[in-house]
Amino acid sequence: MRITRTVAGRRRRTAVVATTGLTAAALLLTGCSDSGSDSDEASDSNGKITLTLADFGQFGYKEAGLYEKYEKLHPNIQVKATTTADEQVYYPKFLQQLNAGKGLADIQGIEVGRVKELVDTKADAFADLSKVIDANQWVNWKALQASTDEGKVIGAGTDIGPMSLCYRRDLFEQAGLPTDREEVAERVAGGWEDYLKLGEEYKKKAPKDTFYMDSASAMYNGVVSSNEEQYYSKDGKAIYKESAGVKAGWNLAAEAADKKLSAGLAQFQDPWKAALRKGSIATIACPAWMAAQISTYAGDDFKGKWDIARTPGDTAANWGGSFLAVPAGGKHVKEAGEFIKWATAPEQQAAVFKAVGVFPSNKGAYDLPDVKNATLEYFNNAPIGAIYAEEAQSIPAAVLGPKDGVIKDSISTQINNMEQRGTKPDKAWNDAVEAVDKVIG
Amino acid sequence: MTTTSPLTVPDRRGVSKAAAPGTPPRRSRFKQGAGRQHHGGPFAYFALAVVGIGSLFPLYWTLVAASRTQDEVLDSPPPFIPGGNLFSNLQTAWEQAQLGKAIWNTFLVSASITAATLFFCTLAGYAFAKMRFRGRGALMTMVIATLTVPPQLSVVPLYMMMSDIGWNGQLESVIFPTLVSAFGVFFMRQYLLEALPYELIEAGRVDGANNLRIVWSIVLPVARPAMMVLGMLTFVQTWNDFFWPYLALGAENPTLQVALGQLSASYVPDQSIVMAGALISTLPLLVVFVIFGKRIVGGIMSGAVKG
Amino acid sequence: MATSTPTRGTHGSRPGRRDPKAMSPGRQAWRSRLWRFDDKASPYAYIAPFFLIFGAFGLYPLIYTGWIALHRVEMVSLDQMDWVGWENFSKILQDDEFWTAVANTFVIGVISTVPQLLMALGLAHLLNYKLRASTFWRTVILTPYATSVASAALVFALVFRADGGLLNWALDFVGLGDTNWAQGHWSSKIAIAVIVIWRWTGYNTLIYLAAMQAVPSDLYEAASLDGASRWQQFRNVTIPALRPTILFTIVISTIGSMQLFGEPLLLEGGTIGAQGGSEHQYETLSVYLYNYGWKLGHLGPAAAVAWAMLALLLLIAAINWLVGRSVRKTAA
Repeated sequence: MRITRTVAGRRRRTAVVATTGLTAAALLLTGCSDSGSDSDEASDSNGKITLTLADFGQFGYKEAGLYEKYEKLHPNIQVKATTTADEQVYYPKFLQQLNAGKGLADIQGIEVGRVKELVDTKADAFADLSKVIDANQWVNWKALQASTDEGKVIGAGTDIGPMSLCYRRDLFEQAGLPTDREEVAERVAGGWEDYLKLGEEYKKKAPKDTFYMDSASAMYNGVVSSNEEQYYSKDGKAIYKESAGVKAGWNLAAEAADKKLSAGLAQFQDPWKAALRKGSIATIACPAWMAAQISTYAGDDFKGKWDIARTPGDTAANWGGSFLAVPAGGKHVKEAGEFIKWATAPEQQAAVFKAVGVFPSNKGAYDLPDVKNATLEYFNNAPIGAIYAEEAQSIPAAVLGPKDGVIKDSISTQINNMEQRGTKPDKAWNDAVEAVDKVIG
Repeated sequence: MTTTSPLTVPDRRGVSKAAAPGTPPRRSRFKQGAGRQHHGGPFAYFALAVVGIGSLFPLYWTLVAASRTQDEVLDSPPPFIPGGNLFSNLQTAWEQAQLGKAIWNTFLVSASITAATLFFCTLAGYAFAKMRFRGRGALMTMVIATLTVPPQLSVVPLYMMMSDIGWNGQLESVIFPTLVSAFGVFFMRQYLLEALPYELIEAGRVDGANNLRIVWSIVLPVARPAMMVLGMLTFVQTWNDFFWPYLALGAENPTLQVALGQLSASYVPDQSIVMAGALISTLPLLVVFVIFGKRIVGGIMSGAVKG
Repeated sequence: MATSTPTRGTHGSRPGRRDPKAMSPGRQAWRSRLWRFDDKASPYAYIAPFFLIFGAFGLYPLIYTGWIALHRVEMVSLDQMDWVGWENFSKILQDDEFWTAVANTFVIGVISTVPQLLMALGLAHLLNYKLRASTFWRTVILTPYATSVASAALVFALVFRADGGLLNWALDFVGLGDTNWAQGHWSSKIAIAVIVIWRWTGYNTLIYLAAMQAVPSDLYEAASLDGASRWQQFRNVTIPALRPTILFTIVISTIGSMQLFGEPLLLEGGTIGAQGGSEHQYETLSVYLYNYGWKLGHLGPAAAVAWAMLALLLLIAAINWLVGRSVRKTAA
C-alpha cells in the first residue's frame, strides 16, 4: 500500500466521519444486543415461552420425544435444549455462568460427581424444588444427594446408573466364549476378578484388532461404585488414599493393564468413539446410561450384536446419574419447575428408559410395565428392566464429596497411562495422588 | 501469538531505531532492495509454489472435509476432492453451535474494538507525537513497556472483575479489556511523527482552530492511511482472538472462535460438521483477504520498516 | 525526537480573525486564557481514554494478580478470599506439572520459532527477487495468518490423527505411517509447532522482506565488486543488516510461545486437551494456568502461575536487552 502524506481532501474527511460514526454505532449496538440477549427468545408477543435446557452426555429426553410431548401438552411453551457431550467441558462453563448469574439456561443438568460441590457452595443460586417435587418418590440416597442440611432440594433426580456388563455377542463367539447373557453372567459371577479371567481367555483367541475392554478405568469405576465409602469419608475428609474400593479398583486396573486386556482408550474421547464405531471393543463395564452411549457411537452396523449381562459379582453398584436443577435467577423459574416435575415423573422416566436405557431414579417407575418388562432392541433385546430393577433396590448410599468427579477423572487418566503407555503402577499412582491433591487444593 | 510488529528496525548504521510505520522507503536517495535487481529463477518459483500450496492446502482440506460425511473424512486414504454434503453440514453446524449469533457477536466485538482502537489510539498517538506536555516521555515509556504483556497475566482478576460487574458471559467482558492497544498508540505515534508536518498544525492554529478542530480537520485526515492499516490488523486479531473469549464467554453467547471450540466438544462427534464450522468462521476473513490482500500485505510491511 | 508545540500567535489574540477590533479587551483576555487551557488540557484529554481503559483492564488486573496469588480463591466462591501467603507459589513450584509446562513451553517455543524464522528468512529472500505476480505470492503466504487458532488447530488435529489421519497416510508411503502424534512426547510438540509455523511464517516473511528492501544497494554493489557470490552477499550483507529485526522477531515469537493455548487445547480436545495430553506432554504454561484456574477451579495458584510467567517474561526481556546490546556493539 502506498501511503501518502498529502493533506486531506473532502473524501478523507468523510471517511473519518464514517469511522467515528461506526465507533458510536458499534458501541451502541453492543449495548443494545447485550441488554437484549437475556430476554432473547424468552417470550414473544403471543406470550409463548421458550424454556431453555442445558445438559450433557445423554439424558435421552430428545430421543424419547419428551420435548415434543411437553410442547403438545403446553402449547404456550417451547423447549430448547443444548447438549454438551463431555461433562467436563460442560461443568466449568456452567459454574462460570452460575458465578455471573447470567447465560444460564432455565433448566440445567448436574452430574452426581458435582452435585455435592454445588449443594455445599451454590445452594443459594438454585430454586428450592422441595415444594415442587416429592423427594420421597426417589430412591432414598438419590434424593439426599441433592439436598442441603436445611432440607432444600436443588435438583430432581433423573437417572441412576446401576451396573451391568455390555458385551459383543459376535466377538465372544469368535473367541470361543459363551454368548448367552445368562452364561456370561455365570462366568463373571465371582466378581471383577472373574471378569479379568474371562478376558485372558478372550485374549487367547481374540479376533484380529479387537480388545477385551475399552478401558480399565471403566472397570475401576465399576469396582469403586459398589462401595459406600469412595473418595470422601462421612465427615467430609478426602480418604481416597485409604479407601478400600479405590485400592481394589486400582489393583484390578493395574492387572488389566499388565495383561494388556484393554484398548486403553480414554472414555468419551474421540478415539474411544472411533473404536466403538469400528467395532473393536468386546466388553464395556456398563452402567445403565452407558448403553445409550454405545448405541449412539457404535451406530447401526452393530445393532443386535451387543448384549447386556448382569454385572460381575453380586454387589450392587451405581455409577453416575444426574439431576435437573433450576437456577434461581431464571426468567421462568415456575415453568422450569413444572417441566422438571413432569420430566422426572415415573411415566416420563420410564419412557426415557425405554428409548435409550437410562434408568429411572424415581421409585414409582420401577413397577411400570415399561420399566419392568423393558428390553433394548439394540442390545439383542436384553431384558434391561429385569437386570437393573432388582439391583437398583440394593445400591449402597454412597458418600459424596465435592470433588468426586474430578478425582475420578484424574485417577482414570493415570489408569489410561498404565494401559496405554505401560506406565508402572507405582509411578502412575504417585502421579494420580499428585493430580488429586491438586484437585482438592 | 501476537500480531505485534517489530518495534525496532535497523537503519543503515545498524543502530536500532524506532520504526515509522507507513513510511515508504526513501528510494530517492538510495537505490534500495538489492535483490530486486535479479530476476527470480525457476527455483524461486518452484519453492514459492511449494510453500504456497502448503499455505493453502489446510484451508482447502477444511473445505473438503466440510463437504463430506464423517465416515469419508476419517477414511484412509482421506478424500481430496470436495463431496456433496457441504450445505447440509453447514446447516447442521449453524444450528448446533448458534453460528448465526456467533457471527453477529464476533462482528460486533471486532467492529467496536476496531473503531475504538482507531479513535482512541489515533488521539493518543497524535498527542504523543506532536504535543508537548508534562510526563510525556515517562508515559510513552509505559506504553512501550506494556506492548508485550500477554493477556494471560491478568485473566484471573479480570475474570473476577467481570463477575463482579455482571459482565461475565456478556460481550462487554470481551470488548472492554481490548478497547485500546498499546501497539495502536505506538503505531499511530510513529506514523504521525513523520507524516504530520508542524507547519500544517501551525497553519490550523493561525486559522484560529482550537485543538479539537485541529484533530478533526488536520490530524485525522493525515492519519487515515495508517488508520486503515491499524484497523485491518486490529480487526483480524480480534476476529481470531481465542484465549480470553474462551474463558469469558459461554455457549449461550459465544463469538465464532468460542463457538468453534464448543462445537468440537458437542454431543454429535461429527468431524465434518466441526470442519463446516471452521469453514464458516474462517470464510469472512478469507473474503476480506482476497479483496484487500494487497493492502494488508502493504500494511504489515510498512508497519515493519522504516527506510 | 525533539518536538515543539507550535505557538498560537505569541500575543494570545484570536489569530486569523479578519476583524480583531470587534473584540473587547476583556473578552480577549478570557479567550487567551481559554486557549492556554485548551493547550494544557488537550494532550491529557487525548491520552486519557487510553490510560483509563488500560489502567482499568490492563494494569490494575496485572497488579491485582499478584495479590490474588497470595490468597485462596475458589471458582465456586469468587467473592471469598482467604490469605495464604506464599502457599500458592510454593504449591506450583513444587508441582512437577508446572516444570513440565515450563519446559514444554520452552521446547515448543524453540522448535516452532527457529524453523519458522529460518523459513521466513529464505522466503523473504526469494520474494525480494524480481518476480511475476509478486503481490499474489505475498498474499498467498500470508493467508494462514487470516485463519484463527481454533480453525487451524481443529484442521491440523484431523491431519495429525493417529488412526488413518492425512499425515500418517502420506507418511505410510515411506514406511512411517503409525505415529500417534498427540501421544508422543516429541511428536505432539512437533505437531503443535507445525500449526504455529503454518500460521506465522508468512507474517514474519513480510517483515523480513520489508527490512531487506530497506538495505541500501550500495552495500551489495561494494560486496559484488569484492567478488562476493550471491550467497556470500546474503550471508555477509543481508543477514547482518537484518540482525536487529531478527532479534526482534525472536523475542516476539518467544513471548508468543508463552501464549500458546488454542493449539494444545484443541489438538486432542476435551479433558485430555485441557491438561495438555495424558502425560502433560504438550501442556504449555497457558494451558496449565487454564487447567488450574478454570477446570480445577483454584484461582489462587492460577494467579501464581501468571506471575511466574511474568517473571519468565522479564527474564526474556533481560536476555534480549543483553543480546541486543552486544549486537549493537558488534555492529558499531
